[in-house]
Amino acid sequence: MISALGDSLAQVHDSLIHGLSAIKPIQLFNTEGLGCPLAGEIVDFDASKYLGQRNLRPLDRTSRLVASSAQLALQDSGWSMEMRNTEEVGLVLGTMFCSAHTISEFDRRALEAGPAYASPMDFSNTVINAASGQTAIVHNLKGVNTTISTGATSGLQAICYGADLIRSGRARAVLAGGAEELCFESFYGFDRAGLLCRSDTSAGDFPIPFDARRNGAALGEGAALLMLEDLVLARERGARILAEIKGHGSSYDCSRGHDDKQSVAAIAVAIRQALNDAFLLPHEIDCLSASARGSRSGDRREVEAVVSVFNCQTRHLPVTAVKSMLGETLGASGPLQAAAMLETIREGVLPGIPQLQQIEDGFPLKRACAGPKEVDVLNGLINSTGFDGHSCSLILSRYED
Amino acid sequence: MDRQIVITGIGVVTPVGTGCEEFWSNLLDGQSGIAPVKSFDTSAYNVHRGAEVKEFTAGDFVLNLDAAHLGRASQFAIAAARLALADAGVESSSLDQKRAGVSMGTTSGEPREIERFDDSFMSGALDRIGPEFLALYPCHVIAAHVASELGFAGVNTMIPTACAAGNYAIAHALDVMRAGRADLMLAGGSDAFSRITYTGFARLGAVAPEVCQPFDRFRKGMIPGEGAGVLVLEPLSSARRRGARIYAEVGGYGLSCDAHHMTAAHPEGAGAERAMQQALADSRTNAAKVSYISAHGTGTATNDRLETLAVKRVFKDLAGRIPISSIKSMLGHTMGAASAIEAAVCALAVFNDRVPPTINLNDADPECDLDYVPNFARDVRVNVAMNNAYAFGGNNASLILRKSVMN
Amino acid sequence: MSTDDIRVKVKNSIAKITNISFDQIPDHASYKDDLQLDSLTILEIAVDAEYQFQVKLTDDDLGELRTVDDTVRMVQQYLSPVAA
Repeated sequence: MISALGDSLAQVHDSLIHGLSAIKPIQLFNTEGLGCPLAGEIVDFDASKYLGQRNLRPLDRTSRLVASSAQLALQDSGWSMEMRNTEEVGLVLGTMFCSAHTISEFDRRALEAGPAYASPMDFSNTVINAASGQTAIVHNLKGVNTTISTGATSGLQAICYGADLIRSGRARAVLAGGAEELCFESFYGFDRAGLLCRSDTSAGDFPIPFDARRNGAALGEGAALLMLEDLVLARERGARILAEIKGHGSSYDCSRGHDDKQSVAAIAVAIRQALNDAFLLPHEIDCLSASARGSRSGDRREVEAVVSVFNCQTRHLPVTAVKSMLGETLGASGPLQAAAMLETIREGVLPGIPQLQQIEDGFPLKRACAGPKEVDVLNGLINSTGFDGHSCSLILSRYED
Repeated sequence: MDRQIVITGIGVVTPVGTGCEEFWSNLLDGQSGIAPVKSFDTSAYNVHRGAEVKEFTAGDFVLNLDAAHLGRASQFAIAAARLALADAGVESSSLDQKRAGVSMGTTSGEPREIERFDDSFMSGALDRIGPEFLALYPCHVIAAHVASELGFAGVNTMIPTACAAGNYAIAHALDVMRAGRADLMLAGGSDAFSRITYTGFARLGAVAPEVCQPFDRFRKGMIPGEGAGVLVLEPLSSARRRGARIYAEVGGYGLSCDAHHMTAAHPEGAGAERAMQQALADSRTNAAKVSYISAHGTGTATNDRLETLAVKRVFKDLAGRIPISSIKSMLGHTMGAASAIEAAVCALAVFNDRVPPTINLNDADPECDLDYVPNFARDVRVNVAMNNAYAFGGNNASLILRKSVMN
Repeated sequence: MSTDDIRVKVKNSIAKITNISFDQIPDHASYKDDLQLDSLTILEIAVDAEYQFQVKLTDDDLGELRTVDDTVRMVQQYLSPVAA
């Protein structure tokens, strides 16, 4: 993973446990005239740290984020280049925009200087599957290569797609996850849509998921890829197994977020499907990594959906919302939540939600709080909800031999 | 769980016609949809022709959402979806909403929205861009708009794997249905004519000045186009129960990645070969049974040569006997819609035992020596059709359609 | 503009696009053989040269660009057209 809090899972989880927020004033571009000057930016991101001295000019920021996190995932899982030459490793990447910045720059240069001076290299990065294509080239990933784009749920959906490839026997090893870069073009879109938090006080106070004072989300950027493998293959090669994907579910709200009831129902359907898929009952879920991002309606709808599935169990359910510290990383959000959940399962500690002081009235989240808490997680639920209709849920379970 | 998934409806919006009947008839006639570009000024370019959809009125098809608040690719997708459902004789109100899904592919999503952003930016008037940018631009809106228009609340996926996206989307729909996660899926692809796309291909020197001539010795490149193709997928059992017309069964697919180069195919067509082999294996099809191939056939020097090579490697001595045509000779390259429209063509070929031609094929390249059905449509008994698509980023996809047990 | 000036600019362009340092680009380097560049990179270099010098190469010209020398010569030709 490459995130605004670092590139080592243990270190990032440690920062989350200590309530360190990556949400700070943006350095990457000028925020003059924008309503929100904050984001979870990866400051001084240098892909050569992960990819060596190769020429990185053909790769834009998103491609660099993905290729870099793929490098880390391949190393971490022990899939050497030699192994990749004999066994096909796939890549399923979720991204909402890939690079709106590259697309826009390509177009603007052609407008300004004339189409004869458009950059051919940039053009190859204007397709939304560019980052997964570039990453496959860098790392010789010749298996199934797919890009999934379902808004903010893209990354979690990609993990579900990857898991299904393995379940159906179409693949034995797949890197699955998501990525999103911070850029002016997409940021502007969110700002104009009124979805971002307003903060008159110092950075770090907002966003506050579930809090009565919450006033919007903060965007972030990053990439996270999980190496998914068929259990038999993993055992055969003596791989270290971090967790099992027990189940997943997804659904769509036809009102695109305009109708409360439909929105809540869609989130609830995704959760129920994941439970059914995992053959689990609600009380068997030991903690929830919520999609909550500080949105007034979004957070509330997620709580209502959780209540409709878990009923009175809700107040016993430990809940975290890591977007409070990483920001809403769109395509990367679900995978980053999944990665953090792996550490929670291993370490037995769930990050808190910093700044959470007054949970909104009517949110029966007794076990959501500002500080970290000890948890014994056999099954963890991860929710990912979009801004305009998509919902996806994933259940990760502790692997026991 | 029903593993036999069939196509019962086809809807298309293309440069040679909208709606299955008109499209198929024009295609068999060898009509071309290539003409001077109208949607933007090409005077600063050294090429000027494209394959745009003519006479499309979104309001004819967008009945629940507001057509004026949808990007063009979404409009096309909704039109093709409605046409497909009507063709299948399915009323969306009769479906269990939660088990009706949408799986679409695209290359650019809604490029006009970002072009508008850029125009405003360049003229110092960015404040003209409001909340609609986020609502209309990100590519997932295409599948989302189709679902919202029709009330489909099940699986909803956008697979933007560029020029192979349609095949990827149909493959995903097949898997979703076989896993029992949906009762019905709309699957296909959509792309709108885009200044950005046109500029890019023109800059790469890939755009032909006059016509698209796949496999011809004098071929000069591809011609960017636009359109949408959507198929209705349902289990065979449900199609039989309601007495639906079944075009074909979706037999299986193969996906591969070149991992070689962003804009150029593997020099020996290795990725394309693997995708075809996997599709045959996945659908348990003997190569000898393939009766028609819908080629990717863009009309560029390299694609056509490498594709021919890959087909020969897979089919060996049989290659010369399988009719293989490229409808891009008529439709131009409709990007993310291409392989979806081509899948529709395969379904129609299977159903009608007739295959469309590759037009403008006057003098075949000696390195392209297969039977490309030159210039005239042909009656062929099509038991099994293969649909090939290759994309930027090295994404390759092959789909197998075959006669259903009911045909 | 002298041939040397043009060459320096072209080499800077190559350095920027390929990440190969200026000093490591031989004056008469062949793109494919000496620098191991692929067709997309070579095209990017050509377009960058067109942009920098505000000239426009034809598709045929582009096909002829195999070395640094070719690029310098082509730019020079377009900067000071001589009646054939």
